[in-house]
Amino acid sequence: MAAATLPAWLALQPAARTLRAFCTAVSPATRSAIPSPRTAGRTSRYERPLRRKALPPRTEKMTVDLDWPSVYPVAAPFKPSAVPLPVRMGYPVKRGVPMAKEGNLELLKIPNFLHLTPVAIKKHCEALKDFCTEWPAALDSDEKCEKHFPIEIDTADYVSAGPSIRNPKARVVTLRVKLSSLNLDDHAKKKLIKLVGERYCKTTDVLTIRTDRCPLKRQNYDYAIYLLTVLYHESWKTEEWEKEKTEADMEEYIWKNSPSEKNILETLLQIKAAEKNLEVNKEELLGTKEVENYKKCVVSLKNEGDNEETLSQYKESVKKLLKLM
Amino acid sequence: METAPQSLAAPLDNQAPDDSPRAVSRTSEKDPARHGEQHEGLHYNIPLQDMRTLFPHSLPPRFSMQVKTFSEACLMVRKPALELLHYLKNTNFAHPAVRYVLYGEKGTGKTLSLCHVIHFCAKQDWLILHVPDAHLWVKSCRSLLPSTYNKQRLDQPAEASIWLKNFKTTNERFLSQIKVQEKYVWNKRESTEKGSPLGEVVEQGIMRVKNATDAVGVVLRELKGQSSLGGFRLLVAVDGVNALWGKTTLKREDKVAPEELALVHNLRKMVKNDWHGGTIVLTLSQTGSLFKPRKAYLPQELLGKVQSLENLVPLRGIDALDPFIPILVSNYSWLQHEKAHTEEGKKELLFLSTQTLDSWSGCAPTF
Repeated sequence: MAAATLPAWLALQPAARTLRAFCTAVSPATRSAIPSPRTAGRTSRYERPLRRKALPPRTEKMTVDLDWPSVYPVAAPFKPSAVPLPVRMGYPVKRGVPMAKEGNLELLKIPNFLHLTPVAIKKHCEALKDFCTEWPAALDSDEKCEKHFPIEIDTADYVSAGPSIRNPKARVVTLRVKLSSLNLDDHAKKKLIKLVGERYCKTTDVLTIRTDRCPLKRQNYDYAIYLLTVLYHESWKTEEWEKEKTEADMEEYIWKNSPSEKNILETLLQIKAAEKNLEVNKEELLGTKEVENYKKCVVSLKNEGDNEETLSQYKESVKKLLKLM
Repeated sequence: METAPQSLAAPLDNQAPDDSPRAVSRTSEKDPARHGEQHEGLHYNIPLQDMRTLFPHSLPPRFSMQVKTFSEACLMVRKPALELLHYLKNTNFAHPAVRYVLYGEKGTGKTLSLCHVIHFCAKQDWLILHVPDAHLWVKSCRSLLPSTYNKQRLDQPAEASIWLKNFKTTNERFLSQIKVQEKYVWNKRESTEKGSPLGEVVEQGIMRVKNATDAVGVVLRELKGQSSLGGFRLLVAVDGVNALWGKTTLKREDKVAPEELALVHNLRKMVKNDWHGGTIVLTLSQTGSLFKPRKAYLPQELLGKVQSLENLVPLRGIDALDPFIPILVSNYSWLQHEKAHTEEGKKELLFLSTQTLDSWSGCAPTF
């Protein structure tokens, strides 16, 4: 009604008025001129329509057990008059409090999930149940799911109101798999980890491959599976140039043929020579309990880094080895 | 003012620390060989004469200022040093030299523990080979010459001659006893014959600064070879040994690797444990080290990887020093915590301690 009356009213008034449409939802016939100080001189008393008093906010009429999903059925901006919570947001001035919700731009800017309360979600689930099939009864624990279905695929679909149903973000496919469920030996696992680089997480042992280079989701999915296959097979192969792996490439410290082993061997040989005991051979020397202990301590020192514990263990083992007190 | 040692010190061990400035913590036991656990936490006095011989150059600057101010040098007897002394007393000189590495956070007393050990060894008549700060050899060197002995290495005449002078001061009496075992030709006119005393080599290095680095190399080689024969006991003490495997800030057309410095090369050979008849005591020091973070104090952090320029093989300091005995020097426990420092004239001076740098910066002597 306001839209219909407005043009007619404007046609009557040559002077422009910037009154908001909903304020003037009154037919010109019922107007009673309220002269405002600004306009008193300019217009006659019949031209200005009645400005209705603001209605009380909807929150005052809300009961405690109302049906909230009907207030916020979809994602909507924050309406202070429709949300019955005394929310405050904003940086307070000195000796002040954060701003109230009425007219608060900060509350409008942030995303809100008022349309996704647990009750609303339950309703969604109930509605979706008609389109779902039963969960297989045999897969009742996480371990069984992992055992039978080690690969997890994540995809996202996007729905929006607009002229097109396509969304380029929907082509992304993420493939997650635990390396422990793949059949890899030591060399293959190290090679695979080196090949994938950042995509492997050491703490959770999960390889994540995220593909989005093809235009369609189906194509990206095929590509991800292809990548996994290729990685698996390549890591089992050993190339010629892998023999040139140097100490810098090693992921962890290996005792055999390390400088530490050589040093300790030399030291022990010298000790034995000093004691005029020339009948020993290398394997025997390296096989003694003290050397085993020393080897363990060195490996833990190098792999775990320095801390009080590793250093003191190392110290004890060296003392025993060199027969100090 | 020397007060009675043990009786006054005993209450110190039992009570909680209070603020009374009169508490004394000294012992009159001047011989480090007799220091034991009962002396822990107490200070002992090093006679100034010994100071001049043993440490002509080598104390941390603040400590030497204190020595000058109070005209006496007092070191606190602490656990790490006692532990080291215990090992040293039980060393088997037929076995290869054992390496001890003192490590710890900044200002906890590694250098002065090393000095304590050096004093002990000197009293026991060992030959002391002391490198006060290996970091000085890898930075701020004005003159770098190509080595006369080996074309690929570089000489540092200034540092080498300073070191030779100090070595001479410390080990005066050994210089005539030890005889060199080979002939060394310095240049067309000068050479040292086989069988002449080591002192001649040292003199040669001091007089002809160009040959100083080579003289150092000769000295090190001779000492290493002869200590196994048993004529003397050798203590190799290097402060800041992580400098030998760290980076340098010296440039000669491009960055110089530590191995290219002849002094570093020879010292590295010295701290290897392929000789016997002595010990090697080392400290790791972050102060003065290059390109290492301020909080680094653990062995692997400071002795970490270095790329050597020739073949890009990472040489780790730890691998070179393996096996070694790490000894942690920790911060003062409450027993040894410093008391308030009062000065009411020289007579009532109570306390001289090797304190961490931060706490001393607030104190100012008022006479």
